[in-house]
Amino acid sequence: MLTARVFDIHRGTTHDGPGLRTTVFFKGCPLACRWCQNPEGIGFGPQLQWHARKCIGCYSCEAACDRGAISHESGPPIVNRELCDMCGACVAACPAKATTLSGTEYTVDQLIGAVMKDRKFFETFEGGVTASGGEPTSQAAFVYEFFKGLKAAGIHTALDTCGLTAGASLERLLPLTDCVLFDLKFIDSGMHRDHTGQPNAAILANLARVVEFARANRGLALWIRTPLIPGASASAENVSAIGRFIRSDVLDVLDRWELCAFNSLCREKYQKLNLAWEYEGVGLLSHAAAEDLLGAAREYVPADMVAVTGILAE
Amino acid sequence: MSTAFAPNSRPQGFAASSRLDRLAVRSHDLSKGNRRNVYVDNREFLVYHWSGKSSAFSPATGEQALGDDERINLGDHNCRVDVGVPYPYVAEMPSKRDGLELTAANWAKDYAFFLDHSPAEVYPDETIVGEFHWQLDEARFYKFPDEVYGLGFALRELGAGGISLAHTCPDLGIGLTLGWGGLLEKVRENRARFEGYGAADRVEYLDASEQVVLAIIRYVGRHADRAAELAAAETDPDQKRLYEKVAANCAAIATGAPATFEQAVQWIQLFQVVERINGHGNGYGRLDQLLIDFYRRDTAAGVLTREDARSLIAELFLKYGGNYFSFAGRNRELKDATNEVSWVGLEAYDMIGGYNHIGVMWHPEIDPAYYAYACDVVSRHGCGVPTLINYDVLRASELYSGYSEEDAWNVSYSGCQWYCAVGNEYSDHDLNCLVLVKPMQRAIDIAIRDGIQNFESFWRVYTEEVEKTAVALVAFKNKVYEWHPKVWPEMVTSLCMHGPIEHGRDVTDSPSVNNAFTSVNVLGVPNVVDSMFAIKKVVFEDRRFTLAQLREAMDVNWQGQEVMRQVMLNQEKFGNDLDGVDAMYVRVADQVLDTLEHKRNIKGFTFRPSLFQYMGHTYAGPMMGATPDGRRAEEPLAHGCNPMHGRNTAGITATANSLMKVDFSRFQGGSLQIELQPRFFDGKDNIGSFIEKFSRTYMAHGGVQINLNVIDLAQLQDAIVHPDKPEYQDIVVKVTGYSAHFVLLDREFQKEFVSRVNYAEV
Repeated sequence: MLTARVFDIHRGTTHDGPGLRTTVFFKGCPLACRWCQNPEGIGFGPQLQWHARKCIGCYSCEAACDRGAISHESGPPIVNRELCDMCGACVAACPAKATTLSGTEYTVDQLIGAVMKDRKFFETFEGGVTASGGEPTSQAAFVYEFFKGLKAAGIHTALDTCGLTAGASLERLLPLTDCVLFDLKFIDSGMHRDHTGQPNAAILANLARVVEFARANRGLALWIRTPLIPGASASAENVSAIGRFIRSDVLDVLDRWELCAFNSLCREKYQKLNLAWEYEGVGLLSHAAAEDLLGAAREYVPADMVAVTGILAE
Repeated sequence: MSTAFAPNSRPQGFAASSRLDRLAVRSHDLSKGNRRNVYVDNREFLVYHWSGKSSAFSPATGEQALGDDERINLGDHNCRVDVGVPYPYVAEMPSKRDGLELTAANWAKDYAFFLDHSPAEVYPDETIVGEFHWQLDEARFYKFPDEVYGLGFALRELGAGGISLAHTCPDLGIGLTLGWGGLLEKVRENRARFEGYGAADRVEYLDASEQVVLAIIRYVGRHADRAAELAAAETDPDQKRLYEKVAANCAAIATGAPATFEQAVQWIQLFQVVERINGHGNGYGRLDQLLIDFYRRDTAAGVLTREDARSLIAELFLKYGGNYFSFAGRNRELKDATNEVSWVGLEAYDMIGGYNHIGVMWHPEIDPAYYAYACDVVSRHGCGVPTLINYDVLRASELYSGYSEEDAWNVSYSGCQWYCAVGNEYSDHDLNCLVLVKPMQRAIDIAIRDGIQNFESFWRVYTEEVEKTAVALVAFKNKVYEWHPKVWPEMVTSLCMHGPIEHGRDVTDSPSVNNAFTSVNVLGVPNVVDSMFAIKKVVFEDRRFTLAQLREAMDVNWQGQEVMRQVMLNQEKFGNDLDGVDAMYVRVADQVLDTLEHKRNIKGFTFRPSLFQYMGHTYAGPMMGATPDGRRAEEPLAHGCNPMHGRNTAGITATANSLMKVDFSRFQGGSLQIELQPRFFDGKDNIGSFIEKFSRTYMAHGGVQINLNVIDLAQLQDAIVHPDKPEYQDIVVKVTGYSAHFVLLDREFQKEFVSRVNYAEV
């Protein structure tokens, strides 16, 4: 049976495509963006998470682990991730749900059942379902069946992609997709590699595939999303470069360009995985800085098509 | 942190005149100066709706008033303007001088004296006048006999209580058509009829009623005199004209029926004053239906503009200080009833903002532009005004309970979560309470004693205990109903009801109006649901703990039993659209419905449960102690049928879906309370449009009411610590079914309110 590993389902989202939506977060991503907001979505397998705020220090997890991967001294339980085989025994034993595994297996029918719960809201809000991640196309065969089921039920579909995937799997998904949310982080490939671990040539090639498809199939909406990361992508040069590229290669099929302001609200996710995060202390973008970047973007793209989203500092 | 949207922003669209601005400042200053507060005696009143002390809400002054250390402030929720001193003529009240008798005649004598010795006040800038400083229960002793108290205390032990006072909805159309003179004639005609029948008790009641109407006519006339006196002394020509206008209007409506829109608004304000003065208020119906004929006549005649009408309704709002009026809904033919006054009424609120209790009754055929405007007003003002209500569910619920189609079509949202067949019922709305946690606690003790080993047997014990509480509630209410018309008749309300004058019996008596159900707020449903589900799973299925162990742990508020608490807490919780626990919600709600709707009061009507209780959850927590859902004693209970604080983690749509699983058309209300943070909307979205679509979806699938705040959590948290900061003085929140200034609320309410703000981000 075809299954997928999903690390979260957000209902009632208004930020991942048109209208009100349910966003499914698929596990696994080929990029390693230094600012990643979903660190629990990068790996393809399940990941053990430990939530300090919920832990009551009963050490039920330690008792349940037959590999000796959990121990403690006087404080909280310590997980030896080398020894852990993600069996989930500690998760079942934890009374406080402080220990969890990121990544739940779903069959296509189960996942469709889960997202259909908000169908009545999709109808009023002209929304639907967004496949996000991680990188949803890393489980492309599943997403294909998932979208096929949703389209058969008349549900609007959106694909939120980082763009790095096999061209063929992307092309297979496009006919079942109503809206593509395509991340464009840097035009400079060196910068792209420095901040995400990968160059951007394959990503731009995939964007060209989407653009070509959209030219032939005017029903496909295309949103470009650029994260505004302080000290990285949030520069006038970068936004202008992306703007120039959009104007020359994408504009005729573009519906919206979103500049997504960074926030560090996800820092707890890193703590749950015992991971250090270089962006932990990075503050919000200021209104003024966002205005400047918006201005830069509007040099190239009509003003009503580009917007800043997310929280800004005073 | 900032967003594109600032809550409680100044209204846009309609500029108030400088005269209206001055009236608004006065009205808001009265609120903010703690001069419009409503008090209750104690926390028991909030939890059981019965204090064991006074017979209703806490009288602000007088022999039955409690000190500030005892009574609890519900916030600015009152049109009574406190002047800081007790009623000056208490000692001369007829019942004090000549003796208190529990009769309508004795009550009416007191009422007439009280009104005759209440000042007729006219303030500068006002077109619409009428305000009061004392209620009759501050001057006349208002207490039920001891036998009622005996039953009340016994009932409280079982987890219920209640009062009977006001909280209905008169049909002001009766008075607007007849005027006070016409009402006097109607009373006299019916009295003559009953004299012919030899029905002495009915004649006696209508004699008393006549005294009440005559006192009101004198009171309205004194406003005309006062305005004329001020006009004579006034040198400013504009103000002089205004006083003259007030004098002419009050003179005209002292006995005559109002002839113009302006006089109709004035008539409504003075009716509200002379009625509310008897102790507490009512809903006052569908303002757009009441005023539309006046509006059309006057605009056609060229004597009234839309701006004039908007300004007059704004004055009415400011003068009363938060009105329970409703708009839209359907007409007798069940067609959309939205009309020009529906628009003007909302525009009037839009112009002045602040706290108010008006409601818009949605239905699928409502003028979409009007409903969009209503949602736009909610979003821009951020104060939860207007409340959004589903007309079709209100009507369906009345029909389900046995109201006639003729009574049910004219349903009006009338108070927090309740609604009335206008002029056709007296049903104790929002005044009785059954705390469902109590029977569950008894069931646990019995199940331990009897060694019960499976959930279905435990459930049977629970239903028997709910039944026991309900039976005691019926006995108590019936005793109250026996005494009510004698102890505290509601003679002003009775004048604008269909039935009381025709029957010669007070609205509190029977037979009098067509419908006299007993409405019961059920408190703690989500906690009982979560508890029952956890008990079923952990105790009876997994057999991880016994009921006795659970009981011991709750007795010590989970001290040393954190593992057990976490296990109970981490079961499925109501409010997340989870089928298992939501089925328990339906089962618990349907069980209390089944229990109550098979009980009859002495008036011959059934008990109707409401899945709502306005503020009892805050204080009920510590009173109930810890509960099996993992709740600690110090935490509040859940608010109405909303998920327990912090337990709905799957988003606003999931919570809405959970609530909708109950068929609200069989209950007497149950509102979805949503506190959205502005951060929920990060620039892309239009808040008004979001609210419009969300509420429309919720109501199209059976939701009955949405109370919605758009409020900045950080700001509220700071406002608790620094209530005196000037920037916090104007924050208005929809506390429950009513709105009030946040900084005026009781501290426990403030903390509870902040703890339920969720849906921060998606």
